[in-house]
Amino acid sequence: MQLLNTILIGITAGSIYSLMAIAFVLVWRSTRVINFAQAGMALLSTYFGYEAVTRIGSFWLALPIAMLGGAIFSALVEVILMRVLVKHSSSGPIAAVAPIIATLGLLGLIRSVIAMIWGGQDLRIPPPVSNNGFTVNGEVLVFSPLKLLILITTFILMVLLTILFQRTNLGLSLRASAYAPEIARLSGIRVDLIRTLGWALAGAAGAVAGVFQTVNGNGNFSPDSIEFSLLLVSGFIAAVIGGLDSLLGAVIGGLFLGVVISFVLIYLSGGLFFIAPFVVLLLVLFIRPQGIIGEKVGRRA
Amino acid sequence: MHKLKPRAHFTLFLIFGFLLFLAGNRVDELRVYQGASIAVFVIAISSLILLTGYSGQVSLGHGALMAIGAYSATLARNEFQIPIILTFFVAVLATAVGGALLGAAAARLSGPYLAGTTLALAIGLPSLANQFSILGGEQGLIFDVGFPPLGLGEDFTQYKWFFWIAALAALISTWLLSNILSSRYGRNWRAGRSNEAAAQICGINTGRSKILAFTISAGIAGLAGALLSMTIGTVSPSAFPLALSFALLTGAVLSGVSTLSGVMIGAVVLVAIPEIADVVAHRIGSSENITTNLPGFIVSALLIVTVLFVPNGPVEQHRARAAKKAAKKRL
Repeated sequence: MQLLNTILIGITAGSIYSLMAIAFVLVWRSTRVINFAQAGMALLSTYFGYEAVTRIGSFWLALPIAMLGGAIFSALVEVILMRVLVKHSSSGPIAAVAPIIATLGLLGLIRSVIAMIWGGQDLRIPPPVSNNGFTVNGEVLVFSPLKLLILITTFILMVLLTILFQRTNLGLSLRASAYAPEIARLSGIRVDLIRTLGWALAGAAGAVAGVFQTVNGNGNFSPDSIEFSLLLVSGFIAAVIGGLDSLLGAVIGGLFLGVVISFVLIYLSGGLFFIAPFVVLLLVLFIRPQGIIGEKVGRRA
Repeated sequence: MHKLKPRAHFTLFLIFGFLLFLAGNRVDELRVYQGASIAVFVIAISSLILLTGYSGQVSLGHGALMAIGAYSATLARNEFQIPIILTFFVAVLATAVGGALLGAAAARLSGPYLAGTTLALAIGLPSLANQFSILGGEQGLIFDVGFPPLGLGEDFTQYKWFFWIAALAALISTWLLSNILSSRYGRNWRAGRSNEAAAQICGINTGRSKILAFTISAGIAGLAGALLSMTIGTVSPSAFPLALSFALLTGAVLSGVSTLSGVMIGAVVLVAIPEIADVVAHRIGSSENITTNLPGFIVSALLIVTVLFVPNGPVEQHRARAAKKAAKKRL
């Protein structure tokens, strides 16, 4: 029973990491930047969701509002910050690290602005359904209706995203701009616009990850909550495991990471919560640096 | 800087040290304490400049490396009662070993991968303090360098003692670093950063050179960590948050990562920001939320603006402009 519990907890947490990893991959594919501000955007979207929940009262209306808010904000960041960055610092000794530094600055900026507006104290999004575990044969599982709901919602969103990418013209443009921007531009795709759209989709995915990470925990969140730092690191690691270029890889990477961390926590020690992702990342980078689905090319970013 | 002979270099540092000594006697306690903080930041930022500006590797985990230095110095002091000056050497050595291990992993990574790995370290490592009881958990350990020697006079305060130690350490480490950076190793690092393939053709083992950069940088960061916990008096996980790593990066970018000569700028700005934020908050009569978060806001905003508009730092920018003017004059 403990084994089943461990796996189910791992998959639920992992599905949230997958969403975050998808956000990383979408941004990476559209602009070749790792957006370390992704956690800040997810946090901001969670505050949007919180405002919606307290005003409307419905979690299921608040989630799309958070997604929309995250998408718009993310698109704005691309237009206002990233385009300027590409223009100004494309050469010089720190050209390679400039985008990393800029997104980190953005992360700090978002956090401090949030703390200025909403204050540093804990806020709370109540879970939409019970987080008390199911009872099977008289034994109480850790797996709860809430976790089931998170899994189902994540799954539906991933299916929608797959349909968007594989079955629509827009998805084709997205893929074309990622793999061959110049040729895509030649064939009449407005690559700049598509890039912004990639960021917007990432913002929406990150918003869901943020809201779910909050309700899957104790429901509380604050500008400094460690949950979001963890979400940042886990999402990044999941994306790296998946090869950074593949959406499917991001999903598998997230689930894998979730299950591994869950096993470490339950069978080894709960105190390893923060160091476990680091060790997993190092192992992955040493054993299979191209990721699970990545092509066999060196990791030169 | 490069044109100076090593001896002239050394003399300059001596003069600078003497000026600091004079200044330390003129100002009040708070300023002396801030002076010590500036010295700590100078050391930490210069270690990051070596790594990012010269060797081209970005680290978001220097806060964690500082924590290693602080904890090893504290443990050496508390468990073995070794003399205070030796504890700093212990910090340098222990952190350099940690840095060498990290560097071995880092040499295989580039850009965002390295950034993500060091980020994971910065978040993960401080939490280890709660795993081992010898590290004192969340409250941390007490790190006491002792009273200043009596020979320095009765009115020689504790803060002034901190300032002396930190400033001396900063002078020595900067002098060492500026020599290393203009030596063969510094050239190897810059060559590897600008064009790895070309550097390899010239016979530079870029992998080994990167690991060496990480090791030295970590050792110096460890020294800064030990000095930081000296000024605070304790060492605990909360003294080395992710924000510290980000602040160091901001300091390095503000100083200009490609040269050591601007390192004072970043350090002074980092120490001055809380005070400036305080003044600004008072002027506009803002709420508590804004007052407490204004420093973080200013640091992040400065980081973004610098990367966007002065990506090579003010010193380099000034140099480039001066060179352009000189070229025009010649025509």
